[in-house]
Amino acid sequence: MRSKTFWLLLAMVVASLALVAAGCGGDDEGDDAAGTGTGATTDEGGTEAAEQVITVNWGTEPPSLDPGLASDTTSANILLNIMDPLVKLDDDLNSVPYAAESVETSEDGKTVTYTLRDGLKWTNGDPVTAEDFEYSWKRTVSPELGADYAYQFYGIVGAQEYNGCDPKKDKCAALADKMAVNAVDDKTLEVKLTTPQPWFVQQSAHHSFLAVHKPTVDKFGDKWTEAENIVTNGAFTLERWEHSSAIDIVKDPDWRDADTVKLTRVNGRMIEDGTTAVQAFEADEVDALLTLPPDETARLKETAEYAQYGALGTYYYGVNVDNIPDVKQRRAMALAIPRQSIIDNIAQADQIPATGFTPEGMPGYEAINPDSPWLPPEGDLEQAKELMGEVASPKENITLYINDSPGHREIAVGVQAAWKELGIDSTIKQQEFQQYLEFLGPPPNKDVDSYRLGWIGDFVDAINFLELWTCESGNNSTNYCNKDYDALIEKARQTEDNDARYEIYGQAEEILFGEDGDMPVLPIYYYTYQGLERESIKDSFELNLLDQVDLTKVVVTE
Amino acid sequence: MLKFIVRRVFWTIPVLLVVIFLTFIMMRQIGGNPFRQSERAVPEAVQRNLEAKFHVNDPWYQQYAYYVKGVFTFDLGPSLVVRGRDVNDIVKTHFPKSIELGVYAFLFALVLGVPLGMIAALRHNTWVDYSAMFVSNVFHAVPSFLVATLLIYFVALKAGWVPTSGWTSWEHKILPSIALGFGPMALFARLVRGTMLETLQQDYVRTARAKGLRYRRVVGLHVLRNSLIPVVTAAGPLLGFIITGSFVIELIFNIPGIGQNYVDSISNRDYSVVMGLTVLLSVIVILANLVVDILYGILDPRTRDARS
Amino acid sequence: MSVTGAREEALASGPGAAPASGAPIRQSNLWKDAWGRYVRNKAAAIAGAVFVVVLLYCLIAPFASPHDPDAVNFALASQTPSLEHPFGTDKFGRDLFTRTALGGRVSMLIGFGATLAILLVGVIYGAISGFIGGRVDNGLMRFLDALYGLPYLPFAIITLAIIGRTNTWTMMIALSIASWFTTARIVRGQVLTLKENDYVRAAKAVGARWYRILGRHLLPNTLGVLIIAIFLELPGVILGEAFLSFIGLGISPPDASWGAMAQEGRTVFRSHPTAIIVPSVAIATLVLCANFVADGLRDALDPRTRET
Repeated sequence: MRSKTFWLLLAMVVASLALVAAGCGGDDEGDDAAGTGTGATTDEGGTEAAEQVITVNWGTEPPSLDPGLASDTTSANILLNIMDPLVKLDDDLNSVPYAAESVETSEDGKTVTYTLRDGLKWTNGDPVTAEDFEYSWKRTVSPELGADYAYQFYGIVGAQEYNGCDPKKDKCAALADKMAVNAVDDKTLEVKLTTPQPWFVQQSAHHSFLAVHKPTVDKFGDKWTEAENIVTNGAFTLERWEHSSAIDIVKDPDWRDADTVKLTRVNGRMIEDGTTAVQAFEADEVDALLTLPPDETARLKETAEYAQYGALGTYYYGVNVDNIPDVKQRRAMALAIPRQSIIDNIAQADQIPATGFTPEGMPGYEAINPDSPWLPPEGDLEQAKELMGEVASPKENITLYINDSPGHREIAVGVQAAWKELGIDSTIKQQEFQQYLEFLGPPPNKDVDSYRLGWIGDFVDAINFLELWTCESGNNSTNYCNKDYDALIEKARQTEDNDARYEIYGQAEEILFGEDGDMPVLPIYYYTYQGLERESIKDSFELNLLDQVDLTKVVVTE
Repeated sequence: MLKFIVRRVFWTIPVLLVVIFLTFIMMRQIGGNPFRQSERAVPEAVQRNLEAKFHVNDPWYQQYAYYVKGVFTFDLGPSLVVRGRDVNDIVKTHFPKSIELGVYAFLFALVLGVPLGMIAALRHNTWVDYSAMFVSNVFHAVPSFLVATLLIYFVALKAGWVPTSGWTSWEHKILPSIALGFGPMALFARLVRGTMLETLQQDYVRTARAKGLRYRRVVGLHVLRNSLIPVVTAAGPLLGFIITGSFVIELIFNIPGIGQNYVDSISNRDYSVVMGLTVLLSVIVILANLVVDILYGILDPRTRDARS
Repeated sequence: MSVTGAREEALASGPGAAPASGAPIRQSNLWKDAWGRYVRNKAAAIAGAVFVVVLLYCLIAPFASPHDPDAVNFALASQTPSLEHPFGTDKFGRDLFTRTALGGRVSMLIGFGATLAILLVGVIYGAISGFIGGRVDNGLMRFLDALYGLPYLPFAIITLAIIGRTNTWTMMIALSIASWFTTARIVRGQVLTLKENDYVRAAKAVGARWYRILGRHLLPNTLGVLIIAIFLELPGVILGEAFLSFIGLGISPPDASWGAMAQEGRTVFRSHPTAIIVPSVAIATLVLCANFVADGLRDALDPRTRET
């Protein structure tokens, strides 16, 4: 017995040594990511495959599938596919009625009326009514729920007051009644706004405006979103949700438009680690990835499965205007940053160099974008140095705060090098996320001279971006406060006509980034989304500007 | 013997209380806002409501008492970040997977490591011994994340024999267990070899060998038993190694155990989850130490009285 | 004043000093004997030499290298090893040879620093507990049991989160806070045993003061164990730091430790395997050497465990 064990062990030992030796044997060049896949090249008219099942890596466990509580893209993506929103955004980001048959805005722009379609049903057979929407919206705003996105409803009369109610002190139920969302009848929902908000209908495509099924919520409480309890009304239903592991949705054959939905099943994985996710894709275990690890982008760009989409988001560096008060220095710092070079060499996702704050793809971009002379895509070191020379008492030692997610440090290093040329010594301080958020406040910690952040749009109107820089904004960590700017933003809120409004936005951007711009922030680039998609779904699997995929439109081709 | 066990078990309760207290204090020091998970600021009203809902601003002794009561009634509270899920739920879903991983890794280490050590001892000072020891030393030293990365690349990706990540079917479980178990395997091999060598030199063994087969069998069992003592001794700290190693392995293989949850919860400042998981991990460590002590008491009676 | 120094020396010098009967009496020193035994052990000697080489590499290479380890130059990114760059370059175009040396400095600084801290705390705690004995010993050991219950990695993670920043010093603190328990136990055990030794009893009987006993008898005899303990704890600390860095909770850039470099390297593994292999192999080498050195020291300082 002993010698047999001995030989077996010896064999294993030799095998392990071979593994290690092979691993050290040089680099792999040009591995293709394709794997075996579903075969032949597809063209526009590819035939439908027999099996319409795909596996998507959502990237994380959705923290909550409660429309009132969900605040991240994964939850949003799943929710928008298993529920039926009143309106949906089309490819050009215009809102089209979806669960609603029609949407009307009154003359003065302050009343919006949604008329639901006939025959809408929940998965348990109950009809979907306007009361469901009234209940759900008020629930999201209720102080007891503590919803992050309650603020999206503040444009509705009475919403902010209701949300601000302290359940321990006052009677909040009365305020709930005062919130101006009313189910006039089973099919009609009437909403009264505090001011005309031309973007409101578009905003209601957001997942926080989805309806929830009251009896289910009442019955199961916190657990109502579990797969065995949840009741939905969308194109797909939640079949299985194994937390942190998998989430599977299947087509609902009884949905009102089920004929147009080709996919029968979408299996979901939750692989957080970028490298592991790419490996899963290459091993044919996953058909679509919605993000890529920055380090592998260069290699994966060469593959046929690479996909890239524009995104409604801006990556920027904020500047503490109290610590760096001389606008010339801020302009010089902006001028020095070689945006295109950073994009090409570091970020490597074909992002778009920012020439203003509102990103490309936003309706009205032409009118809004100031094409700032201080934000040349290639950077202008010569001019920057000159300008820096004119600064009376420059701040030469500054701190640059970033958080510790991948990618930020590399960009910071690039910017640090650029500022070095101006004689500015920047110390990069990398912090763990929560601590970072604390430091930024607002108001920002005194030690923060500049910091990095990104802003992703919630809905498709520039005000979502521009209102960040008002004096009272909870997201303004620059200490920048300009009454004129605030006034412009207020005016925009009141302006119904799109074109007129875009004009105002353009003026606002001028105040920030124009010739006489105050430069409280230094935008770097507009985001893009990158992913990998198997060739069989590549044409139909699309991410819109808000990082959402409409699974009803996806088809697996041969 | 029984008195020994009872005494040891009795002592675990105050130990547990101290652990809870220490963790509680440490968590309070961290700061940060569990209700803000994105770069978007939380509106004041919302912040206020959430803090009230989760008792975050109650005086510390109140929170502590509330929490201790929870632990002893097996209610670890709700998660601050993942609404709608209790810590109990999180534990029920994720803990078993981590434990499974740990157990498989341990078994792998045992099944491979002990025979390896024994063979090395029996063929002492031959090339078998040297190569076995060299290999096991190497595997002990190479960090498991490299082993894991290489294994995934060659076995899962290139050869395609097993999936690259996840933890559902038995194929999924092979690579992670191996990656995590390599280090302990090497440790066991060395320990067993060392003790066996020592024991083999003993007079009674030599005598038995000289006297012949029957005595050898009797003594063989004795040798085996003695060689397992260091395995038991090492099992305690090894548990620690496996727990820490599993965090990394779970990350690389996308195993939904508590490792990833734990690190994420600290980053997200999900106080209740962190407390719950830490307390749970402590309980496991304490229990494991208890078992080790008892086993030790059985295997080696001398130690029973030395520990009060 | 009490016993003369010379007699205590003779009593205290232990096994190494006993001359064979009839042979000429040679004054020998414990340390000299140990050194002799150590270098005769081939494995340990080689390991020791490699260890010193690595140490020198980490100290000297950054000075000798013509490359600036922090200089970002994307044109040179991710190159394979060449004469100019013996380990290639990383994704920023920085020379890996120099960075590995720098990373080694950090890793070893943390390793030694934490180990020394562990020893310091452990020795003080264990010595006090063992020396005083009785109730105090009991209490201290119970408290230690409680601390044992805190799982190592989570404890370290929480400590880091509390401190807020992760640099070399905080890592040292975090890693040592979580691992001094075993040393304390060992030292306490040693002190307890030694306390009963004849020469200590003799010293007590003659009326020696406690600090003299502690300083002259107990601690020097524990020194051997302590030195071994250093080389046993070192791998644990280095791996612990590597794991923490790998999870992402480690040293902040641009400083790097081997663990942090390995984590960076993992993401480019497919196109550029050198980036993860080099730091991992470095870690493995250090750990291996430490293990062999520890073995060698153990054999050298206590010849009873030497194999025939």
